[in-house]
Amino acid sequence: MRLGIVRGQVVLSLAAPTLAGTTLLLVEPVTALNLEARDGRGGGRQLVVADRLSPGEGALIGFVEGSEAANAYYPGTAPVDAYCSLVVRGYEFGPAAAGRA
Amino acid sequence: MFLARIDGTLNSTRKHPTLASVRFLIAQRLDVEGRASGEPLVVLDSMGAKRGATVLVSTDGNLVRQWLGKTAPARLTVVGLVDSVHAPGRAGGGRK
Repeated sequence: MRLGIVRGQVVLSLAAPTLAGTTLLLVEPVTALNLEARDGRGGGRQLVVADRLSPGEGALIGFVEGSEAANAYYPGTAPVDAYCSLVVRGYEFGPAAAGRA
Repeated sequence: MFLARIDGTLNSTRKHPTLASVRFLIAQRLDVEGRASGEPLVVLDSMGAKRGATVLVSTDGNLVRQWLGKTAPARLTVVGLVDSVHAPGRAGGGRK
């Protein structure tokens, strides 16, 4: 999964029935440079992420993409390809062994 | 599958219930020269990968479903700790 910052929510006036009860987050993925800098900036191309965890605006989340995004709806189905799997509480990040790999 | 370097750790108190006891690491995919590239990725780890280690990451969703159940919303999993990479054309002597 990738990491992203919640920038807002998307509200639909008409939706596929299987999307009922799903919140849609507007998310900006975080680049390695911004994650390390902890500057609150994302830098990636925004996308819409299905959610049931209700992270607040500005929260850092981990989201899964692809068919696994719909796993959370099993045994039902949902037309989603990105899903908020976790809300980040804290992290450490930095190339600890840069150049060795 | 692809090679990645473990560059961080992450903790989360709010997450999908199937991920409750999972260890999360932050990894960066390596390019053909062995340099970190692309956006940071959260990977699931059950092998005890350490910071700075090069690991083999699988994108197989079936693996996660078998491990954590059919409703687990995750895919990237550490499936190996890399000892060495032999690539004669790679800069730096061809070993990791």
